[in-house]
Amino acid sequence: MSLTIEVTQGDIHVTITLSGDVDTKTAPDLLSKLTALELHALEQLRLDLQAVEFVSSAGLRAIVFAKQKMPHESALYLIGASEQIVDTITKTGLAQAVRIVNSADEI
Amino acid sequence: MEFERIDNIPTETIEGYRVRPGKPLPFGVSSVPGGLNFSVYTSAGTSCTLVLFSRSEASPLAEIKVPDHYRIGDVYSIVVYDLDYEDLEYGFRIDGPFEPERGNRFDKSKVLMDPYARVISGRDEWGLDPDWSRAYQYRSRVAFDDFDWEGDSPLEIDDADLVIYELHVRSFTKNDNSGVKFKGTYAGIVEKVPYLKALGINAVELMPVFEFDEFENSRIHPDTGEKLYNYWGYSTVAFFAPKAGFAASGKFGMQMDEFKQLVKELHKEGIEVILDVVFNHTAEGNERGPSISFKGLDNKIYYMLTPEGYYFNFSGTGNTLNCNNPVVRNLVLDCLRYWASEYHIDGFRFDLASILGRDPWGAPLSNPPLLESLAFDPILSSCKLIAEAWDAGGLYQVGTFPAYGRWSEWNGKYRDTARRYLKGDDGQLGEMAQRVQGSPDLYQWNGRSPATSINFITCHDGFTLADLVSFNGKHNEANGENNSDGGDDNHSWNCGAEGWTDDAEINSLRMRQCMNAIGVLLTSRGTPMLLMGDELGRSQHGNNNAYCIDSEVSWVDWSLLESNRKLFEFTQSLINFRHQHKCLRINRFDHEGSNYLPSCSFHGTKPWEVNWSAGSKQLGWLMSCDDEATGHMDAVFVASNVAHYACWFDLPRLPDEYQWQLCYNTGDRDSPSQANPTQYHENGILVGERSMTIFAASPRET
Repeated sequence: MSLTIEVTQGDIHVTITLSGDVDTKTAPDLLSKLTALELHALEQLRLDLQAVEFVSSAGLRAIVFAKQKMPHESALYLIGASEQIVDTITKTGLAQAVRIVNSADEI
Repeated sequence: MEFERIDNIPTETIEGYRVRPGKPLPFGVSSVPGGLNFSVYTSAGTSCTLVLFSRSEASPLAEIKVPDHYRIGDVYSIVVYDLDYEDLEYGFRIDGPFEPERGNRFDKSKVLMDPYARVISGRDEWGLDPDWSRAYQYRSRVAFDDFDWEGDSPLEIDDADLVIYELHVRSFTKNDNSGVKFKGTYAGIVEKVPYLKALGINAVELMPVFEFDEFENSRIHPDTGEKLYNYWGYSTVAFFAPKAGFAASGKFGMQMDEFKQLVKELHKEGIEVILDVVFNHTAEGNERGPSISFKGLDNKIYYMLTPEGYYFNFSGTGNTLNCNNPVVRNLVLDCLRYWASEYHIDGFRFDLASILGRDPWGAPLSNPPLLESLAFDPILSSCKLIAEAWDAGGLYQVGTFPAYGRWSEWNGKYRDTARRYLKGDDGQLGEMAQRVQGSPDLYQWNGRSPATSINFITCHDGFTLADLVSFNGKHNEANGENNSDGGDDNHSWNCGAEGWTDDAEINSLRMRQCMNAIGVLLTSRGTPMLLMGDELGRSQHGNNNAYCIDSEVSWVDWSLLESNRKLFEFTQSLINFRHQHKCLRINRFDHEGSNYLPSCSFHGTKPWEVNWSAGSKQLGWLMSCDDEATGHMDAVFVASNVAHYACWFDLPRLPDEYQWQLCYNTGDRDSPSQANPTQYHENGILVGERSMTIFAASPRET
């Protein structure tokens, strides 16, 4: 399954909307989109995962990578992640690096 | 002036992959700019091929024969560029002679696992039947450390202050009634951290978590049809990899993160993590076993072999790792350093550790280099090193294990003495007195301390506490070996009926005996260790060797928390009591006691007078020290009566400014733990049949 990645620039934030599966094959695409951002100066990054069923470990590592490059006081939101994705993030200790919300309205 | 580095440029292309000679250290896989460095040791192999796979694919992606000039000494190393390491699995083919009589078992048709692999795939989900048609079963993967520890580091709790809780990762939360979401996993234990914290223990000792194969020797029970597994996992496949099947995220290959998260969450609550490690043998078995890694890499280096090339079997499981060979010694050191630094592990318990002190021909060494190296290693210097100081080859070293001032021991003599004493055997008082004060008979003469002794009455091997007081003999039929497996020297007593009974008196006695056992354990000097679930009265229905059982028989039944609430509360309270009373945790045999009382003294029904004769069944012990923080004396008096009749104990007199408070009385069926102990006005106490009372001194209010 393929992954489409849409990047939109907000006033202080960037939203990346994903659709498809973030697996071993597609995670590098996400990583290259992330590295293309000015992560070191980004205050807020929103990853919209409402249309994503599966995120592999490579995908989760790309997310962790982004957070570590962002300023310390910045925020990384995961929007609409499925229960399975949230579970994996929680179990593996990545949850403390991100903020999990159901929709962008909660931000 | 700065030149561009040229030490990292590919020098040639093999099979379409850009490569260059690698660095021999570190062994295994390491990351270099743009590529991965692979390094593997073989002293007698004649060529090495790196085999690359795409994740989960049966056939290789590529086979890169490492050019001979890439070999330095006995180490082949190669850098391969442009690999997608999230998708990569790899192994090695080593060519060389197949001449078992000379110890060599090379077979280039086999793909071998990297002994330094940090993640293994192939058994990603527990109990999922493997595809045995695949030639390469346990597949090395690449992993790097990007876990956010948030400032965590090992806790370094004083050995004498530990209360250890031994647990099996899957058994702890697998039961439907565990109340956790991720049952039977590392993440499941995280959900139970509040329980462990409330219980008061400050270390968990995890039964094996290095990657093992639950399907090794798995079979169907001939009568019940139940599937039997290598459930406990005392048979290592990969020493550097956490067991994927114990991780809820194992199917995503994220077991490293999940295990680190467990360590971090336990540390946050002040609980150390000790790993039960198995270096005495591997999952490769004897000459009939599979070639997973060592056997095909360098059989005669890694295993102890007879002159005819057969495997020595000091472990009772097929082979014996050749731990005092310098190469193997380094592997063990590298492994433990890795777990201590990468996973923040606080200590290690070595299964059948006496094997680690044997020379390559099996003879016990007086100064075993491996044990010495571990004791003085700079990275392991704060790690607890705990030996199971015996092996299956007849070496029993409790009290004589080469300790170098660092090693402590599972004290098997504590277990046996306490069991005999508690069931009222004749002639146990003298030895029980030794065990209670930290076993000076075993450890004082050689300059060791009470905390050298890991005191326990039950552990994964043998009966659970509830079974110890409910069964005279083992009932291991469920293991499918006609009840011939498991030990027969259980020193157990069923209290009047074998197995479950409706007899209220028997059940009441059993509950009391459980409390007596926990009472003795937690008021002894040395480091106490509890077996998971014993605080709940967990039973394995008389099975004293449930190594192959993956069912409710071995899983903790959390409904017991309600039905055996009193036992839980008693254990919880007494652990807290131990933490409160320094005098129980004194870690010196030459400690002089408090201003008023000796450090440890023994008493009978009359203070300061013990009847040491064989038929005597009453023993009291009084421990004392000065508490520098408060300026007060700390003193605890235990009066235990293992006779089948009640006995009056006169209490030892305290100085005028102190008074006794009765804190526990296992003979008090309704309230064995006194919620708010108050001044005890009598000069003595009637200690009921098979009961114990515990008093603490408190300053008299003026």
